[in-house]
This record gives sequence, structure tokens and C-alpha cells, in this order.
Amino acid sequence: MNAPDFAISLVYIAYALAVLLTFGAILTWVERKQAAIMSDRIGANRAYVRIPFTQVKLIWLGLFHGMADGLKLLLKEDFKPLAYDKLAYALGPWLAIVPVLLVFAVVPFGGTLDPGRLFPSLAEWFGGRTYPMQIAPIDAGILIVFAFSGITIIGAMLAGWSSANKFSLLGALRAGSQLISYELVMGLTVLGIVLIFGTVNLGTIVERQSGTVLGFLPAWGIVYQPFAAVLFLIAGIAENKRIPFDLPEAESELISGYFTEYSAMKQGVFMLSEFIEIAVIGALFVTLFFGGYNLPWMNDTGFVFPGGHAVPLSHGWVVVLQLLTFLGKVFLLCSFQILVRWTLPRFRWDQLLRFAWKFLLPLAIANLVVTAVALWVQQA
Amino acid sequence: MTIDQLLVYFFGACALLGGVLMLVARHPMRVALALISCMLSLAGIYAMLGVHVVAVFQVLIYVGAVMVFMVYVIMLLDVRDPSFVRRYSRMLLPGVVLGALLAGALGISAIRLGAPAIQPGAGAAPSYLVQPFSVEFLREYWLHFELTSVLLVAAVVAAIAIIRSGRRSDG
Repeated sequence: MNAPDFAISLVYIAYALAVLLTFGAILTWVERKQAAIMSDRIGANRAYVRIPFTQVKLIWLGLFHGMADGLKLLLKEDFKPLAYDKLAYALGPWLAIVPVLLVFAVVPFGGTLDPGRLFPSLAEWFGGRTYPMQIAPIDAGILIVFAFSGITIIGAMLAGWSSANKFSLLGALRAGSQLISYELVMGLTVLGIVLIFGTVNLGTIVERQSGTVLGFLPAWGIVYQPFAAVLFLIAGIAENKRIPFDLPEAESELISGYFTEYSAMKQGVFMLSEFIEIAVIGALFVTLFFGGYNLPWMNDTGFVFPGGHAVPLSHGWVVVLQLLTFLGKVFLLCSFQILVRWTLPRFRWDQLLRFAWKFLLPLAIANLVVTAVALWVQQA
Repeated sequence: MTIDQLLVYFFGACALLGGVLMLVARHPMRVALALISCMLSLAGIYAMLGVHVVAVFQVLIYVGAVMVFMVYVIMLLDVRDPSFVRRYSRMLLPGVVLGALLAGALGISAIRLGAPAIQPGAGAAPSYLVQPFSVEFLREYWLHFELTSVLLVAAVVAAIAIIRSGRRSDG
């Protein structure tokens, strides 16, 4: 690995971390405000920052509530239960948040970057090399997503088990069986997309979505696989353990389930990882079903509208537009997930598993079979 | 020595440490954690050698599937189990002797062959990309693969049968 490659990797990693942590912080506010709007309330509007030596209070629609929460969590006493397994208790929050951040490494957040063209003064240093805007452009793409999301299950179970609390243990049991069930559904739904685009490389999947179907529709995954899109989103919300699938942490039954015994920032890490996972699931959904970083009829050179009318764009504009498009789409998906969370009631325990094994799994298999047969007929 | 080579050595040391801890740790959950870290380090070595597919399947199958179930079961174990108190089983002496023999044999053969040069990224051949790998895998091993699923179904049926008969005798 030479110096320019290393520098670009560092920039990508910094960008991804900044995006994910910002999403994590902003979504706490979005969740409050959106819930308030949906239930015809005003919502968070009390926290403010006063400009020193004046009486000017900046409220900004309650945007500072997230900051106040963060401070509260950081400064709170780190209470630990008496009888607990120290190692597993300390590992729990880490295993919950690190894999979620790592999953983003294979998600492409932009097209191909040519730093020499963006910064002509550095063109010589980069020597004409181009980089896909993706931290790890690895062939195994979607497999890595499933490999890392499997580790989060261990995090939830370790946290619940090590707390030496019956509520936590129940939460951990629920988390284990729920996540295993819904991961299976998620894997089977994604196989349809893999069959259609013929690859598991997420970068290539996005590139193959930049054309058109039937002459005018953008060739997005959701056009080919509408059922898979719905199933994927359901399984994604279940993987994230949010209402209507929040049985592992059901407040009214288990206090906070597997992280009942965590306090201060350790509990904050669980919350943050949940909010970051909203963004990661949104990013995966956008990548697989919504054409990734491209606007409809757009590719790395500019727009090609139906009818052959082309609008070429300069490289700088394409890069900026792709980054913003990706963020915008992910944000819309996050907002939709919050909409679902504040609309539906919680499942009962037996309903949850029956829904996964007797309803979603057969549907996912049926979708896979229909896709395979359709592709086979098309090729024959 | 490049960063890549250093990382291979780092993951190798982690894998060794995880393996040793797995043998000497007393609590089943600690043993499981040591095994998980050992497997993750092995995946790290594979990834540094450029065989990403093997690395991903190492994490996906061993950590994401096998160890998740192990942890799930250990969670339900009784904490008063004797294995939590007694450190070593009766098989300690044969185990240590056989382990020493294995380590000695591996060490002697390693000295005879000379230390292999570690070349990070050496496995990044096109035949290790996902598509050629999976095609080749199913061409060579499809029978074994299908037979394994038959074996698993048999195991599931047997497990259900055991649970059924146990429940009946309980009344």
C-alpha cells in the first residue's frame, strides 16, 4: 500500500465515521420531532444554548437535546451490578457497536473518485489512479455484511447474560432467537437481488442499477424485486430490535431487556448503536434496492434521460451530487423506519417467531424460486 | 517489514493467545469468548493473505452461526455446574503429553522446512473471487454438501425425538 492509497483510505474512513456518528446523533432528534409531529405534539423544545453575556437563547427546534443527552450520559455515575461477569459485561457494548460500524466499510457511498482531476495540483502525486468511493471494495461485499451483523447477536447475548439479572437474561434469550430467525429471512431475500445482478459485490450491484428497464424506469433493485424490498426492510427493522420487534428490550415487560443493568455511557453506546444501525440498514437498502448513490438515469459521467437525451456533468459535480444523493436517500429511509416505529404496536413473543418462520421465510423462499425460474426462462 | 506483514504476525499471535486461553480458561463463557477471538484472528490472517472469501466464511459460519448457538446454550447453563469449580479433567495428563508431542512434531517439521516467507496478498488470485470459488466448490463438493444437509436433518429429527420422549416421561 503506497502513500496516496493510504491517504485516500484514511479520508474515506474519517468520512464514514463522521457520517455514521452524525446520523446516530441527529436521528435521536429526528425520532423525537417526528414522533411529536405524528402525534400532534410540539416535541423537544426546551434545551437551548445561550450566547455568553447576552440573553439570546438558541433553541433551533430542540436540536440541542441530543447534546444535553450526550453530556448527561457521559457525566452520569457508571453503576455496576454486584454479581456480574466483568469481562463479558465490559465486552457487551463493544460487540454491539463495532460490527455495526464495520458493516459500512463495504457500502459504496459514491461512484469512482479521480483525485487527480479534482485537485490538479496533486495530480502528479496520485499518478492518474482512481478510487471507488467505498472503504473496502471487496468482492465478497454482501457476505461481509452478514458476517459482521452475526457478531452483534453475540454482543446482545453477552450483555444480557453477564448482568446477572433475570430481566436481562430474558432479553438476551429473546434477542438471540429473534436475531437468528430474522437474519435467515434477510439472507434469503437478498439472494434474489444477487441472482438478478449476478454478483455479491455491492459496488457492482450499484453500477448495474444505473441503466433503465422498459425504456424509462430506472433499473433499481426495487423494480426487479419489490417483494424482496419489503421483506428486507421488515427483517432489517427486526434485526435492529425496534418496535414492532423490540421484544428483547421491551420497556413495559423487561425494563430495558438485555441492557437493563448498564448505565451512563455504556447504556448510551447501546442506544447509539441502535440509531447507527437505522442508518446502516437504510444505507444497505438504498444500495440494494434504490440505486445506491445515483439519481435516476444518472451514472458516473452525468445524466442519460429516457429518449437518449444526455446531460454530461463535470467530475466534481458528479462526486458532490453522488455523495449528497446517497445521504439524502439514506435519510429518507431512516425517516421511514421511524415512521414505522411510531405507528405499529409491539408483537407478542409467539407471534414474532411465527411471523418469521411461518410467514416471512416461506415468502422469501417463494420469491427466490420465482426469481430463479424467471431468470432461467429468460436465458433459455 | 511492511504493515501487511506486521498485521499477519499480529493476528497470528492473537490466534495463538486465543487458542491457549481456550484451553486454560475455566468458565464456559470465557472458553467460548477465547474461541471466538481465535476464529476472528484466523479470519484476519486469511484476509491479510488475500483470500477474502475464506475469511468471510470463517466469520460467517464459525462465529456468526456456530459460536452464536454455543453462546446461546452457555447462557442457559447452570452456574453450579462442577466444571466451573474443578479446573482440569481426568484426561489432563494424556492431553498434555499428546499436545506436547504434536507441538514438537510441528516444530521439528517447521525447522526442517525452514520458515516460509509470508507474502500478504499472495492468495489474491482470480480463482479466489466469490464467483469462481463458489462454482468450483459446487462442482467438486456438491455431493458432500448435500449429504451434510441430510445429516443435519437427521440430527434435528433426533433432537426433537429426544425432547418428545423426555417430556412424556416427565408426565
